[in-house]
Amino acid sequence: MKLYDYILSPSCYKVRLMAALTGVKLDLQPVDFHPGLEHRGPELLALNPAGSIPILKDGDLILTESSAILVYLAAKAAAEWLAGDKPEEAARVQQWLSFSGRLTTSLGGARLHEMLLRPGDIDALQAQGISALRELEAGLVEQSLRGRRFVAADRPTVADIACFPYVALAPDGGVSLDPYPAIRLWSRALRSLDGFIEMPGIHRLHELKPEPLIETGEA
Amino acid sequence: MPSDTTGFWTPVALSADLPAGTVIPARTPAGSVALWRSEAGRLAASADRCPHRGMRLSHGFVRGEALSCIYHGWSYAQAGNCLRIPAHPGLTPPETIRVAIHEVAEADGVIWVAAGVPASKPPRLDGLTPLRSLTVLAGKDAIETAAGGKTSPDGLVETAAGAGGVWLLAADDGQTLVHVLVRDDAGTKDRIAASRAAESLRRRAENLQREGIVQ
Repeated sequence: MKLYDYILSPSCYKVRLMAALTGVKLDLQPVDFHPGLEHRGPELLALNPAGSIPILKDGDLILTESSAILVYLAAKAAAEWLAGDKPEEAARVQQWLSFSGRLTTSLGGARLHEMLLRPGDIDALQAQGISALRELEAGLVEQSLRGRRFVAADRPTVADIACFPYVALAPDGGVSLDPYPAIRLWSRALRSLDGFIEMPGIHRLHELKPEPLIETGEA
Repeated sequence: MPSDTTGFWTPVALSADLPAGTVIPARTPAGSVALWRSEAGRLAASADRCPHRGMRLSHGFVRGEALSCIYHGWSYAQAGNCLRIPAHPGLTPPETIRVAIHEVAEADGVIWVAAGVPASKPPRLDGLTPLRSLTVLAGKDAIETAAGGKTSPDGLVETAAGAGGVWLLAADDGQTLVHVLVRDDAGTKDRIAASRAAESLRRRAENLQREGIVQ
């Protein structure tokens, strides 16, 4: 399974994270997204005419939507990450998978504007990002009142992985995460999962590692 | 807020939002604080700035009974003294390296931080259970108008018909932290309804503020 990947892309990180959490081995093919615009070059446009990454290639199958890639990895390796057979849970997974697209355009758009100077109305992007974060916060509060820690169930699903990266990187786009206690608890729960991996800007929980042993004596 | 000449309390967070072994950012009239709970459950609040390089301590982590900075790992005790500087493992940090600390109180599921030295304890919230905290980009007047009630001396606003629960306000420079409380006996359905009503009331308060209908 080959992933056309860019280390700083939250959408590519979704795929790397899902693979790490489900024990799938990916063959990573780095793409020079910035400044090379390799994803807009003839070779990658042949794979994905939309000119976006990630792209997952598994034999004849080419997937270019990150949510579809998450579903594919989970279905192959760890079906517990998919919705169960309850209609409500199935709908909630789809609800938040679709919602994650709005995080990409709002918070992701603000981040591209601030980090890579992509043109855009930064005030509008940030306002849309805040409104999406408020929706997620309210959704997580309701889930916790129902005794569930994650967006669609009491276990993490593909929907959590689809939402997590752009939320965690909101400060890159100038949007503060300080006002969202439920999002903070959810982010901790995800970062505590076995097999969790980092990307630049999203670190693991240091307190989960033992304190490093340092030789005493001044250098 | 109950206030006197020497100090006052601000409700900054809900107990449930600060599990043992974690740190969160909080706003008080005395400035931003890093609010943390040790593994053993002890609460503390310090200035949200590491004296070493100015990094926010609320971005840090709690290991055991110490708060550590994410940048270079300098660790602090509840009393604000520096415990450890990882780059100088043999050094006992001098007493002069400290973070400013604030008094913290916790009762009825709400965490309060003191500005100055309050003469009394924070008010009790008898019969009420905290549900969630949300930030409203509006002042107290807009919130009172939206909620249809006046703030009590303890900072409580009863929402019209009680559908949005009772709100505990911490106003701050153009924005207000609202803690939504419900009656102790409210069931899950009522709690979800109160959370949704709070979202609606926030929209109304922010519209009132934006349109300049109230200051």
